[in-house]
Amino acid sequence: MAKVTREMVERSGINVDQLVELLVKNAAAELTTYYYYTILRFNLIGLEGEGIKEIAETARIEDRNHFEALVPRIYELDGKLPRNMNDFHDISACPPAYLPDDPTDVREILKVLVEAERCAVRGYTQVCNMTAGKDHRTYDLAQAILNEEIEHESWFSEFLGEGPSGHFLRRGETSPFVSKFLK
Amino acid sequence: MRKFTKAELGKYNGKNGMPIFVAYQGKVYDVSRSFLWKKGKHQVLHKAGLDLTEDLKVAPHGAEMLEKFPVVGILEHSYKRRI
Repeated sequence: MAKVTREMVERSGINVDQLVELLVKNAAAELTTYYYYTILRFNLIGLEGEGIKEIAETARIEDRNHFEALVPRIYELDGKLPRNMNDFHDISACPPAYLPDDPTDVREILKVLVEAERCAVRGYTQVCNMTAGKDHRTYDLAQAILNEEIEHESWFSEFLGEGPSGHFLRRGETSPFVSKFLK
Repeated sequence: MRKFTKAELGKYNGKNGMPIFVAYQGKVYDVSRSFLWKKGKHQVLHKAGLDLTEDLKVAPHGAEMLEKFPVVGILEHSYKRRI
């Protein structure tokens, strides 16, 4: 625990226990999504699915990166992660991104992907709103993750025909916004 | 449709096996089957058995997230009389 760090956040008026619980729930969402996206990605096959597979893989890796970036902040603020993986799954801030009943329906897989990203966008918006101008480090982290989640949402939204995302798939390394927290 | 007082609504807080109800703009929704309302809590900050009309104004989502769930009643005295 970083004692003074936690004290500074407390003094800013934030309920640190609530903030930590929210960070743990979001970390749980990232790790479980990483698992579920593994299954979704493997099922993106055929003429339709193959074109989406690479971008789903990027989102999968970046969600794992988000988990790894969140954990140090949780410990700094004296938080704890569940000992039991089942508990971790069940406290996730987002519902499980299950493979659809018909795994050959690429559009249904895309709906699962976009809903997972939209849940994440809502979650990090909430963390940003809670911490803006108060807890600078958590805000910086949540904002970096939010930037990537917004891009993920827009990628899958584009594939669903909701309009252009405005950007292209990643070139080179993943996590352009979060990578500074992983070094 | 069943009418709930605030005290009655408060019993549906997800504790001791109770269903999980919340109110919004006079309607009472049953969110028991929501993954995001487990144990009567939602995203750390919100508790079941309450009128969430004010909370939703600052939530990172709109009423559409609640409207997916069945309406099980109306909340009495949830409106302000205009004179």
